[in-house]
Amino acid sequence: MGLTFLQGIISIIVIMALAPLFAGMVNKQKAILTGRIGAPVLQPYYELIRLFKKETINAGTSSFISRISPLINLVSMIVAAAMLPVGFWKPIISFNGDIILFAYILGLARFFQILAAMDIGSSFEGMGAAREATFALFAEPIFFFTIGSISFISGYNSLFDIYHSIQLNNVSYEVFIIVCSISVFMLAVTECSRMPVDDPNTHLELTMIHEVMILDNSGIDLFLYQYSSYIKLFIYALLEISFFYPFSQKSNSVGILIFITGSVALTFVLGIVETITSRYRMKNIPQYLLFATAIGILNLLIYTFTK
Amino acid sequence: MKLIEVQNNQMFKIDDIRFTGKEEFRDTIAELMLNGSRLISLTPVDPDNPKKIFAALTDKNFSVIYLSGCDFNGSALEYESFANDFPQTNYFECELAENYGIMPLNHPWLRPVRKQNVIMGNIPYHFFQLKGEEVHEVAVGPIHAGVIEPGHFRFQCHGELVYNLEINLGYQHRGVEKLFLQLNSDQRIILSESIAGDTALGHAFAHCHAIESLSNIQLSLRAKVIRTVAAEIERVAMHLSGLGGIANDVGFALPSASYGRLRTLAINSLALICGSRFGRGLFVYGGVRYDIDNEIKNSVMENLNTILNDVRQVNDYMFSSVGALSRFEETGIVSKDLAQSIGLVGLAARSSGLEEDVRINFPYSAYRYNPVSMITLSTGDVFARARLRALEIDETLRFIIEQLENLPEGEIKAGSGKTVPGSAVISMIEGWRGEIVHSVFTDSEGKLMNYKIKDPSFNNWYGLSLALRETGISDFPLCNKSFDLSYAGHDL
Repeated sequence: MGLTFLQGIISIIVIMALAPLFAGMVNKQKAILTGRIGAPVLQPYYELIRLFKKETINAGTSSFISRISPLINLVSMIVAAAMLPVGFWKPIISFNGDIILFAYILGLARFFQILAAMDIGSSFEGMGAAREATFALFAEPIFFFTIGSISFISGYNSLFDIYHSIQLNNVSYEVFIIVCSISVFMLAVTECSRMPVDDPNTHLELTMIHEVMILDNSGIDLFLYQYSSYIKLFIYALLEISFFYPFSQKSNSVGILIFITGSVALTFVLGIVETITSRYRMKNIPQYLLFATAIGILNLLIYTFTK
Repeated sequence: MKLIEVQNNQMFKIDDIRFTGKEEFRDTIAELMLNGSRLISLTPVDPDNPKKIFAALTDKNFSVIYLSGCDFNGSALEYESFANDFPQTNYFECELAENYGIMPLNHPWLRPVRKQNVIMGNIPYHFFQLKGEEVHEVAVGPIHAGVIEPGHFRFQCHGELVYNLEINLGYQHRGVEKLFLQLNSDQRIILSESIAGDTALGHAFAHCHAIESLSNIQLSLRAKVIRTVAAEIERVAMHLSGLGGIANDVGFALPSASYGRLRTLAINSLALICGSRFGRGLFVYGGVRYDIDNEIKNSVMENLNTILNDVRQVNDYMFSSVGALSRFEETGIVSKDLAQSIGLVGLAARSSGLEEDVRINFPYSAYRYNPVSMITLSTGDVFARARLRALEIDETLRFIIEQLENLPEGEIKAGSGKTVPGSAVISMIEGWRGEIVHSVFTDSEGKLMNYKIKDPSFNNWYGLSLALRETGISDFPLCNKSFDLSYAGHDL
């Protein structure tokens, strides 16, 4: 018990420590692919340190919602991170039905972010909040149809158990992994506001979704938002990588190896996708999300016909 | 006839202009516009004494400029507005009202041009506002998130859909027109290069033409060819930059970076010729300051051939990408009729199917002897404006390489002269963005009396407003970049 708990603690620390590095690596890949030198991979850390030192200024019209929302965001992300397995280690928070908690703790973070954006009363932020809420509506089914269908198939409803039920020696499972990893990737892209749904590098307020909601935040508040968005990206990356652990042979060294190669490979994939795609028109995004949901439904169909 | 006809860059005497009464002036101008002429200049002859106003209209089919004048003759400074029948005059009338207090009667929508929230000096102005449920207003600028010029944009939206966009500029007003009257001849060229930073050569070109015509200076063919080559390299550079910007606005990183790389080659070619990447310092009255020798010619040709090869591949990549096309097509449409009635010029007009190109309609300098082809597209959307840039890059590169291969011999600089008193000239140039007009008047001593500049942005900002109607607000940056208008050129 003591060892498992320690491993869980180490897992969270690893996630929290490496999250900005992951974002930095994606940006570096993107820069290299477009023929630029790009910012150093450690740039996100520098940014966080810079923001940490800055003074926090709140809009005069904002209420306590704006003050608590950044913290709620970060705490929610850490709680969500505590439910994810790193390697073969059991996460701290793991109980029957934790996938529901996982989905809605992320939902809670989003809820407060939207509230905080509307709280400031700027027309930009209202617009961003409306977009975020609309697209979240379409993104939620993706998670439940993907992770939920594996849960349904395996009969488990805890993230740790679900992933452990994956066995690579079963052909239908291999199909699942491929199909699920596609829809989880699309989910990650949407949830983390990356291309082709949102462009994290744009300076154009009118086209932003996520970035426009935090336009009026500064200092520690912005630090908390940025840090939690890095963690969020890494959480979804782990959700993706976890499909690829060979759970039939549990060895710590294999787990760490897959964790590292999986993360690096995913930065490559994200970098390539973000270089060669252009953003979708705002009104086409729901179609894209429904497509990902359809992939999740496909899972259930595959199961039904291969059983 | 109540009007006289001149050619592009042809000097004429101010006394030759027929200054008629208001009624006759109105009839003359209205008839011209009914026959398809377009207003390019509306200004008092003497800014210090705005009793006589002067209008210049172009007829592209006959390559002539019609000039007509109106003498208020002691009566009130007001006239019946043309804008109800001819929307193209709308903004010119607003400008005249703001600068000189000359009131257009029954004007449909008198708005500030370079001032904020005030018209006619002291009447408060309020933005157009949409009222009702689920309607919201978004105000953008004048300070933007990126490093771009200042301008204020008011969107009246219904959800994500824009109903009306009102653009308020003037934050960069430097008093360029007045400065031209005060500066000496060396300073004037530098000033003309700073009217709009991205069209340094275009405005210098128009300014030099105006002064050379007024001073009867004849240029050698070599000087003319070097000037046009430089101006065309500017066109290539800015079109590449525009395409890069358009790609960037849809988040398409690969073409964006590639266009940026190619643009560097183009502006470096300008630096090879004159030492400045933006072509500053190349133009002098009577010719150019720097010659193109064989060594420079070969390096420039090498650069241009690289661009020619590479840009085709990048264009193929971008214009065959489904994602990019789905963003470009049917976004921000300006129909041909609309474009004609509001008087769009240049790139934006050609994208809507109008044959507006000063190089062809009113040929000047080396284009008189070596024409370029008119390229138009008909859809008038972002795709057309992007695609037209790509097509023009090809055509322009062909033109430059042809010119450089057959560079005529001769002096690069002619002697100077004095400006003729009591005369005027309309100098039109096709900058990369469109038609640049410099209207210059001299007083009885030969000094500059009035210097009126019309940047293509002056015409086209309204086109952007109309392109945004019924378009998603998230497509605004893309539409804006596809027009790529100048704030400084408008504000002067």
